[in-house]
Amino acid sequence: MSENETTDDARTDGGETGIVAPDDEVPTWSERKERKAGLSRLTYEYFERSRREDQDLRNESDYVERDVLGFPTWPHEIIRNLSISMFFVGMIVLIAAALPPSLEAPADPSSTPEIILPDWYLYWSFGLLKLNPLNPGLAVLDGGKLLSDQLYGVLANVVVVGAVALLPYLNKGSARRPVEQPFWASIGVGGAVFSITIAALAVQNLIPLPLPLQLNIVFVFPVVAGIITYAVLKTMREGYMYGLNRRYYMLRPPK
Amino acid sequence: MSLEKKDDFDHYGWLKTKDLTPIESVFLTTLVFLDRRLRIVDYLELLEDAYYKVNLQMPKSHTEQYDLDNKFWYWYPLYSLGFFSTLAYIVAAVSGALLGFYYAPTAAGDPSAAYNSIEMIMTELQFGFALRSIHRWAAQIMMAAVFLHMLRVYFTGSYKEPRELNWLLGIILISLSMVFGYTGYLLPWNQLAFWAGQIGVEMALATPIVGEWAAQLLFGGFTLGQATLIRMYILHVFVLPFVVTALIALHIGIVWVQGIAEPH
Repeated sequence: MSENETTDDARTDGGETGIVAPDDEVPTWSERKERKAGLSRLTYEYFERSRREDQDLRNESDYVERDVLGFPTWPHEIIRNLSISMFFVGMIVLIAAALPPSLEAPADPSSTPEIILPDWYLYWSFGLLKLNPLNPGLAVLDGGKLLSDQLYGVLANVVVVGAVALLPYLNKGSARRPVEQPFWASIGVGGAVFSITIAALAVQNLIPLPLPLQLNIVFVFPVVAGIITYAVLKTMREGYMYGLNRRYYMLRPPK
Repeated sequence: MSLEKKDDFDHYGWLKTKDLTPIESVFLTTLVFLDRRLRIVDYLELLEDAYYKVNLQMPKSHTEQYDLDNKFWYWYPLYSLGFFSTLAYIVAAVSGALLGFYYAPTAAGDPSAAYNSIEMIMTELQFGFALRSIHRWAAQIMMAAVFLHMLRVYFTGSYKEPRELNWLLGIILISLSMVFGYTGYLLPWNQLAFWAGQIGVEMALATPIVGEWAAQLLFGGFTLGQATLIRMYILHVFVLPFVVTALIALHIGIVWVQGIAEPH
């Protein structure tokens, strides 16, 4: 923080961090236990170095110490958490009392029911299994398919889960809010909408729409939702939110 | 080198030289007793370290520091979704343990012992109906909370740099939770369960190379029967509870260590 600073009102860097340097009574790692040789010695030397590095960075940083303790865990935080928890468990019991589960007919391998469905949270996966109309027949194979329809569906699941897993490696950087990255936010909204439209494909025999139309809906709706999101967020960039505090990324965050 | 026993430090003599209150002397005697047997001194460093960490003062969060609460307050209710899914998991675990006293994972019988036991739970058992209802709804709510939690993490960019590992762990957890739900779905051994199981077998068989092996491992064969039911049962009440609970603990532990990722 520069010396020519004026008043608290003028400060835009957020002020003090609350980092408190260890006092003289805190023993160093080497004082706590002397290690003479081998890997443990190296480990302690490394810890010593990294501690010193942290301390140097703290000393260099602009942040100023403060001497206010954090929010008390007991009773404030505990009571708040307990009340939230009890309310939530109460809601589960209430819903359970209001909407009890049914027990269908017993298993009968000889009669296939009209509707076969897993629980709702697997509909998206089940819908991906039903993408077989998109499995292309190849002219080289006389219209035969390279992948069987079931394998095609299983692979669709692998692709979706894999894409989600790769996310942190595709989208890097320090942006946090959707406004800062309209593209990735629209991918997210598109994905969420896709999980719903593809779930509708799982129950296609209950929906009175022709299959080709429904397949179009499955893929068009998410794209439309993504485009709308993108437009909305781009527009929001005009507002005050966007330029809010980008410059703070430069600062080392508090430990 | 002599194997003769060396003199120990005379800790108890040292105690006598000191002027101790009864509480202090009981404490020290206990401490010396335990240390002579369990080498507590070896763990003192850990305790000491914890002591100094606990006494560190809380740093301001990013939000606090830049006074952003007024800008981003609308995210914060969504930050409780992870906690809610954990809570629902605990409710499901407790009610599931109670249901386990009465459920029989047997496909034999008329129509099947498994089906009959669920029917008994729902019609005859005191509070059995409520118990099954709570178990089922806790599972449903857990899944809902987990999906919404994932969306929150996505839209607040919380999966980014130091937290990729926890994102991957979260994907493993959400998949295992779905397996948890699927195995539980099969246990009543009703029509829905049987045919959902049939789809599972077909999915496994469609996978190249490992398909048949996976079908035999998970479903105990290519047609559904007693082997399938008992495998689903063991997965649901033995394997997955340990694995998923351990991973949830790790997931939360990493969040604890790394701190909450707030929007900037």
